[in-house]
Amino acid sequence: MNIRTLVWLEFKQHKSQLISGLLAITLGIAVIVGIRSVSIVSEKAVAVNLDNLGANILVLPQSSNVDNYYAADIDAPTIPEEYVDRIVSSNLSGVDNLSPKLTRRTKIGNENVVLTGILPKNEITSKPMWQQSGLLGNELKANCAPTNSENQSNGYEDEKLQRKVIDSLGADECLVGYAISQKLKLKEGGSIEILGENFRVSRVINETGTVDDDRIFIHLRKAQELLKIPDQVSAIEIMGCCNAISDGLLGKLRNILPDTKITTIGQIVSTQIQTNKMMRNISLIFLIIIIFVGGISIGNFMWANVNERRKEIGMFRMIGFSKTIIYRMFLLKAFMLGILGGIIGYIFGTLAAVWLGPKLAGFSVNPLPNLIAVSLLISIGVSILGTLIPAYLAGRIEPFSNMQEE
Amino acid sequence: MIIKVKNISKSYQKTGRGVLALDDISFEINEGDFVTITGQSGSGKTTLLLSLAGLIKITGGQIHFNNFRIDNANDKYLSDFRKKYVGFVMQSFALIPYLTALENIMLPLAISKISKKEKIKKANTLIELVGLEDRIYHFPRELSAGQQQRIAIARALINEPSLILADEPTGNLDPSLSTDIMNLLKKINNEKHVTILMVTHSPVAAEYGSKKIHLHDGKIISY
Ligand SMILES: Nc1ncnc2c1ncn2[C@@H]1O[C@H](COP(=O)(O)OP(=O)(O)O)[C@@H](O)[C@H]1O
Ligand SMILES: [Mg+2]
Repeated sequence: MNIRTLVWLEFKQHKSQLISGLLAITLGIAVIVGIRSVSIVSEKAVAVNLDNLGANILVLPQSSNVDNYYAADIDAPTIPEEYVDRIVSSNLSGVDNLSPKLTRRTKIGNENVVLTGILPKNEITSKPMWQQSGLLGNELKANCAPTNSENQSNGYEDEKLQRKVIDSLGADECLVGYAISQKLKLKEGGSIEILGENFRVSRVINETGTVDDDRIFIHLRKAQELLKIPDQVSAIEIMGCCNAISDGLLGKLRNILPDTKITTIGQIVSTQIQTNKMMRNISLIFLIIIIFVGGISIGNFMWANVNERRKEIGMFRMIGFSKTIIYRMFLLKAFMLGILGGIIGYIFGTLAAVWLGPKLAGFSVNPLPNLIAVSLLISIGVSILGTLIPAYLAGRIEPFSNMQEE
Repeated sequence: MIIKVKNISKSYQKTGRGVLALDDISFEINEGDFVTITGQSGSGKTTLLLSLAGLIKITGGQIHFNNFRIDNANDKYLSDFRKKYVGFVMQSFALIPYLTALENIMLPLAISKISKKEKIKKANTLIELVGLEDRIYHFPRELSAGQQQRIAIARALINEPSLILADEPTGNLDPSLSTDIMNLLKKINNEKHVTILMVTHSPVAAEYGSKKIHLHDGKIISY
């Protein structure tokens, strides 16, 4: 028996009271952790985008939502594939390359995947993320994801082979995003059934930290056939040259492609940056809210606890516990409460993000272990802050309350 | 001489008008004495015990404990003094509901530096002394009133105090249990030479004292 065990034994007493005292702080931390877990994916995507301006014009259906570049084409309405021909035949100057895509969410086994049909060669020339460097003659100094930049040779040492594979993506072949390959335990050369048909995994794409990790790429024709959406695409990516864009290429494209939303990646990225900023502001607001509401509710809980234990505290004082020890006991209790609130908040926030992320935002969210430390720090800090006054008042309880209140 | 009380008085301020709970009291107590304090309700018995423990500030006079003055000592000193020298036994037992019998006995050692093993050993010795070695893991609610008071007495003894202050320790017990508790206190007084000051309502219990103080309106009537 020492002070710590004494506090712990009391702490375990009223579990239901503990929960209500912790509610505000736990919820607040869950929200912060949830938002952060989701927005870090989006922030990574922004970083990737800014570094790799692959296809820099995106043609989307009029009604699609462009808040999130990487998810913009997912489950969007479609436009006719014939638009590709229109662009090509209109001979607009500044259009270097085209990549039509058809994207839908689907399930393989129990896993949610994003299935994207592509035309292989076009996709590769307009998406430098996959080719690392050199393909278009201009050096791409930046890299898609941090994981790639550290070891360029990791995975595919022979870039020619890599390119050849993509170039020759056959009707029965697929490229698999990193996260999906992990979830479905897929290896290159293995096979996978997608919408009732067998495909050979010709490549696992290096981790990018974006929704592409959840994608499976197959041939566009095959995708249209399997998804029963013939002759339609959900987006057309266009490599345009910068001067042409400023010379009004977007306007010209709009003229020939009715009912579409034509936008540059720059615009989408800046929308996304704004979204991320907003997320950060919301997190900040929640932080302020939990400091106040959480602190007050912990303070309230502690004050009730002090009052209910007046005789007990008087007893402690009587048998020789000094005021300092009484303060320490309550701060220790606040510390324990903070740890509990931080851990529960982290777990709930992470679960919510991992579970809801794919449903709402369209990309998979990974738990961020770093946030445990942040959660604990906030939770313990708020808990101790809220306990300062009750602890002080507990120290002032007269030691003789046991003898006189009879 | 363990306690020397010189002309102490204590007045409580109660909404404007003061209540003189102790009125110019002086007495001395020797080591090993068993002193019983009697008097009507409101005569100042509890106030006297609290003053001796330094739990309330007296308004006049001096209290010496083994040559130390405790009437004007600070909180830290008094906490230490109570921890080292004084054990308390109350009418309401004041056991901690979420601690077992053994843990309740060990409670005062929570702030002491001795090893866990030694703490448990001390508590076990005392639980045997009060005859409850088969109730070690019982919680207070699982014990009878008499058993609870025994645990409280064991707790009062854990720091090997030289003085026990008991405020109506048999007030909540029926007569036969009261006799048990009184015999236990007497045994502790005899065997451990602990000085005991006990407030009581009961004339029977008062007979156990080797010295008797009778209070009336804050004054000592007989000693
Ligand atoms: N905290 C207090 N505030 C004001 N008056 C008090 C307080 N405690 C005791 N008194 C008064 O002091 C007198 C002595 O009380 P007390 O020492 O408790 O007597 P006893 O223990 O003999 O019943 C009583 O008149 C009581 O009302
Ligand atoms: Mg009394």
